[in-house]
Amino acid sequence: MSEHAHHPTPAQYWRIAGFLAILTAIEVALYYVEQEYELGFLNAAMLLALSTVKFIVVVGWFMHVKYEKPMISRFFTAGFVLAIGLYLVVLAAMGVVVVRG
Amino acid sequence: MSDLAHDVDLGHHEEHESTGIENRKLGMWVFLSSEFLFFGALITNYLLYSNRSGFDGTYPAEIYDIPFTSVSSFVLLMSSLTMVLAHNALSRKDQNGARTWLFATAALGAVFLGGQVFEFTEFVVVYDMTLSTNPAASAFYVLTGFHGVHVAIGVIMLLSLWGISRRQGSLSEKQGMNLELVGLYWHFVDIIWIVIFTVVYLLSVPPT
Repeated sequence: MSEHAHHPTPAQYWRIAGFLAILTAIEVALYYVEQEYELGFLNAAMLLALSTVKFIVVVGWFMHVKYEKPMISRFFTAGFVLAIGLYLVVLAAMGVVVVRG
Repeated sequence: MSDLAHDVDLGHHEEHESTGIENRKLGMWVFLSSEFLFFGALITNYLLYSNRSGFDGTYPAEIYDIPFTSVSSFVLLMSSLTMVLAHNALSRKDQNGARTWLFATAALGAVFLGGQVFEFTEFVVVYDMTLSTNPAASAFYVLTGFHGVHVAIGVIMLLSLWGISRRQGSLSEKQGMNLELVGLYWHFVDIIWIVIFTVVYLLSVPPT
């Protein structure tokens, strides 16, 4: 397919993996920062943001959603948004607070 | 991913619907989308009970070994790299490369599973936290256990493809598509762990 020409090269895949590894290292570092300084909501927000970036990078580049027909990303996004929405409502209804501090 | 059959240039026998997407591939994407609801329920269950006080016994968040789990997470993350390199090698008709990266992916998956077995064993033997200790422990084991089952299924599929490739010397068009589908499944297992690692391990706190 024509879009295959735009797929990353092996060297680019290695760089993407390096980026993901760095984000993971930052996540772990934030965990220990939290133990020391108790940033609370700020720490949770940063961890969730980093996790979201990792999620998007794997889906977009490793699963090639970025290069697929739009229907694929629509299916995937719909399932994800539905699940997140549904369970956020459940968690909110149960009064669950997951933020540290 | 683009159609692997085009890449390996072994013919065109895929069945497309009006969507222009190969049927099995579309089916895999729909299946993966539905898996969000499955894991979403298990993660929600964990969040509901992870810091609910009033129960006896050890809570998971009290005994997490973050350095150990960080290494496990890194291993699974890198298995996504080897998986995509296997697909890339096959798209370049590099059958040996595809076989090597397939085996590397299965091996990294097995290492991750070994880590999970070690973690579970330590929790049960050292900390006496079993499936029935309290709701938090139960939710933890069910969530991470089901994820582990998904990884194990992925490892079996990867080793099957590797065995076929080794026996035949190459992967056919149909098997090339199978590699693409297994790859999608494998990356999905990885992204679920990305969420679990953050939400369950890094963010959860024991009851005060």
